[in-house]
Amino acid sequence: MDCQAEVNCGLHLVIQTSSLPEKNKVEFKLNKDTSSFPGRLLQHDLERNYSSRQGDHINLVSSSLSSFPILQRSSEEKILYSDRLSLERQKLTVCPIINGEDHLRLLNFQHNFITRIQNISNLQKLISLDLYDNQIEEISGLSTLRCLRVLLLGKNRIKKISNLENLKSLDVLDLHGNQITKIENINHLCELRVLNLARNFLSHVDNLNGLDSLTELNLRHNQITFVRDVDNLPCLQHLFLSFNNISSFDSVSCLADSSSLSDITFDGNPIAQESWYKHTVLQNMMQLRQLDMKRITEEERRMASVLAKKEEEKKRESHKQSLLKEKKRLTINNVARQWDLQQQRVANIATNEDRKDSDSPQDPCQIDGSTLSAFPEETGPLDSGLNNALQGLSVIDTYLVEVDGDTLSLYGSGALESLDRNWSVQTAGMITTVSFTFIEFDEIVQVLPKLKIKFPNSLHLKFKETNLVMLQQFNALAQLRRIDQLTIDPQGNPVVNFTLWKYYVLFRLSHFSMQKINGTEVTQNDMIMAERLFGILAHVASSELPQYRLISILGDARKKQFRYLLESKGKKPGIINEENNDSKRLVGENTNRATLNYTTRDFYNEKLEEIKEKKKFCKTYIEDLVKEATEINMKNEALQKLWPQMFIELVRDAVIEIRNKNSYMKLCLQQITDQK
Amino acid sequence: MAKPKRKTQRHVLTYMEDAVCQLLENREDISQYGIARFFTEYFNSVCQGTHILFREFSFVQATPHNRVSFLRAFWRCFRTVGKNGDLLTMKEYHCLLQLLCPDFPLELTQKAARIVLMDDAMDCLMSFSDFLFAFQIQFYYSEFLDSVAAIYEDLLSGKNPNTVIVPTSSSGQHRQRPALGEAGMLEGVEASLFYQCLENLCDRHKYSCPPPALVKEALSNVQRLTFYGFLMALSKHHGINQALGALPDKGDLMHDPAMDEELERLLLFFRLAQVPGLVNSVTASPEASCLPSRTPPRVGSPWRPLHHHSRKVDGESDGSTEETDESET
Repeated sequence: MDCQAEVNCGLHLVIQTSSLPEKNKVEFKLNKDTSSFPGRLLQHDLERNYSSRQGDHINLVSSSLSSFPILQRSSEEKILYSDRLSLERQKLTVCPIINGEDHLRLLNFQHNFITRIQNISNLQKLISLDLYDNQIEEISGLSTLRCLRVLLLGKNRIKKISNLENLKSLDVLDLHGNQITKIENINHLCELRVLNLARNFLSHVDNLNGLDSLTELNLRHNQITFVRDVDNLPCLQHLFLSFNNISSFDSVSCLADSSSLSDITFDGNPIAQESWYKHTVLQNMMQLRQLDMKRITEEERRMASVLAKKEEEKKRESHKQSLLKEKKRLTINNVARQWDLQQQRVANIATNEDRKDSDSPQDPCQIDGSTLSAFPEETGPLDSGLNNALQGLSVIDTYLVEVDGDTLSLYGSGALESLDRNWSVQTAGMITTVSFTFIEFDEIVQVLPKLKIKFPNSLHLKFKETNLVMLQQFNALAQLRRIDQLTIDPQGNPVVNFTLWKYYVLFRLSHFSMQKINGTEVTQNDMIMAERLFGILAHVASSELPQYRLISILGDARKKQFRYLLESKGKKPGIINEENNDSKRLVGENTNRATLNYTTRDFYNEKLEEIKEKKKFCKTYIEDLVKEATEINMKNEALQKLWPQMFIELVRDAVIEIRNKNSYMKLCLQQITDQK
Repeated sequence: MAKPKRKTQRHVLTYMEDAVCQLLENREDISQYGIARFFTEYFNSVCQGTHILFREFSFVQATPHNRVSFLRAFWRCFRTVGKNGDLLTMKEYHCLLQLLCPDFPLELTQKAARIVLMDDAMDCLMSFSDFLFAFQIQFYYSEFLDSVAAIYEDLLSGKNPNTVIVPTSSSGQHRQRPALGEAGMLEGVEASLFYQCLENLCDRHKYSCPPPALVKEALSNVQRLTFYGFLMALSKHHGINQALGALPDKGDLMHDPAMDEELERLLLFFRLAQVPGLVNSVTASPEASCLPSRTPPRVGSPWRPLHHHSRKVDGESDGSTEETDESET
């Protein structure tokens, strides 16, 4: 029966037994693939196809003196095979005493039932000891074998690695197929090149320092979950971790630091099932030439490096993102703080003012917000890295502008200037929601026209901490093209406390047919209620205002329309009714509430200031007119009083003149000649 | 030259000044359709009481007629709010006032609210009618009330009531609560003494005062009264309300059949507009916006003294430029 026991070590030492076990032919064949075996003399010897009928010459004599059998060889044998002895399959249960063979160099005890290593301490020249397939439970009895280079203890019952202290020349240590749970007591084996710990009970790998020559480490078929210290092995080239319990690359991260590793196996581990397995391994171990016994092609290596770079990019990107997020958070906090300060300052001023002042304490626009925050210079450029979410982030200390997909968020009044920027058509077109926080509503009103132009698709407006205090302010929103949704956050917007605010919004902005206010759907009933509550206001505001007031309130665009109408219809006082109707028709949607406008307090006060001059002039003008009129009236009255008397005198004078006809005629003629 | 009463003369001048001022402001627009027409429109609107809509507060309070017009406009516009039964806070009423007059001072609204709430928790909700009547008193007679407040203070502190002080606007109705000890014993002032002072005030006051006879009526039932008690009594007195002529009686406050009709029409069109295809959508429909522009028929409103007069006048003039008249004929 051919029994081929392959001991997987770098030497590929193949020990074959011949078909006749009785004959105990031992053939030492050495696979020509082997590369480096330091002990040349051994290799030289072993390469000879050496079959001998050694067994014939071995006599195991049981001595009556001790319990151990004593080995004796014929002198012929001793001379022929002086340095090697094979006791394979001898059904030995103990190591026999070997006398007179102190120059033995190779000793083979394979396939026996030996339980303890004994009686070999005299063989101090031993280089190779093979105890494969026995029942040894403990490594012992080797302390004198200082020359030992190859120790094969596979397929035994060894539970612990120990008692190898003196074997400083050890080159190959084979402990596969045992019950070892821990790697220990091998740190002094600085010449060890091959270590086989396959098929043991190892759960982790560490404590490998000191193995400065180790080239091959076999850890197949264990229960290893993590690996450490491999980067302390300067010569390690081959590492076999097949059929263990490694599930993530982190648990074997030390492998990435090993520059000598070129061949590794992970098959049979959970990690090998992952989709990212190959790439991750290649990325982290660019020095590998072979993975799972397959050569790594240049293509794979290139792919791996590309992916590694991408990973790096991603990591950097996400790091950057988290940095940006942090910065954003800080900025928002800063803006909030500024806002609070501003509000407090206004409140203080309001309370300090005399309460009898006509200014309402709710007047926040007295303070110009811009004086609080310095006008910063733009630093960060617009960032548009990733494909999906266009993250436009411009972060300055006192305001923040953020574009996140379809939402444009503005924090702080400085952010309003960003509307002037050159937004790409794509970005601007995608924006459907605009959110304002920590900005005075009156300031927002002034940029609404810009919003209308630059972000034509903005359908949802959100306001938080914007000082919405009056229903009137909602009138300002009517100038936009369209609003589908409106969200007024109660925080910082006192107007939400009013009972009627929603209805007013629905009424004033009815031409938008809004769908949601503060998240709740707008129902037909809501709309009708809004009309019911404020419909008369609209009616009054449109039909009862005199024409000139309508025009002056409605503004330029409509002025032009009206002018056009007048010109085309012809101006005729009296046919005013028709024109009234027509003009109203022309002025467009929802005329009846278009007069409900909102001018910010600042503008309003400005206007009033401007009017003051005019008023003064008018007053004096009217007074002058009145004076004139009263003067004329007085004169008239005086005339009325005096007239009878004057009339009588006139008549009397005339009568007196004409009394004497002759003299009157003479007088008249005289007058005529005088004239010439 | 006959000298008409200084008051009326001054008010006419006020309107003249304002008209000229408006003309100056809207020069380009008005020159398009003629100055004569402008003046006609202007004074017509003064007669109708629509001239104060969306004007600045200084104009709204300039004359008693303006004040009355404003009160009526406020009532007409927001009667529906009252009819709906909503109770609102002082701030919200102020908001509504600001819708009609953007710079209406909060102070006045606060004072009016104090009357309703008897100077108590200012955040309380008030009903529309309560607020409106109190506001009427406060707004129309604001200067008078300032003087009354001063008188009350004097009486409280025991000063000689016969020296009537006409206060400047700075000494407002700052009512200082007397020390607790005193308040417990004597609440307010003696009614008859108070009335005497008021009578003196009315004689000399250049601002409008409530008719003294009616004031006497209001005070007739009580021995002593507090300041806000007095104001509350004034606001609730029907006679004074009628004398003012701005608002209907409390019972009729929610009635305005003309406007209700108009509103129903509006709502009808609104509802119709919601049905797709039936009428063009509200936004595009000229009819919907046009129809309400026709002013409601003015018939059948018994309590409108101002318009009663103006209708007569208009009926006599030829070349009517008023839509009202057109709808009437």
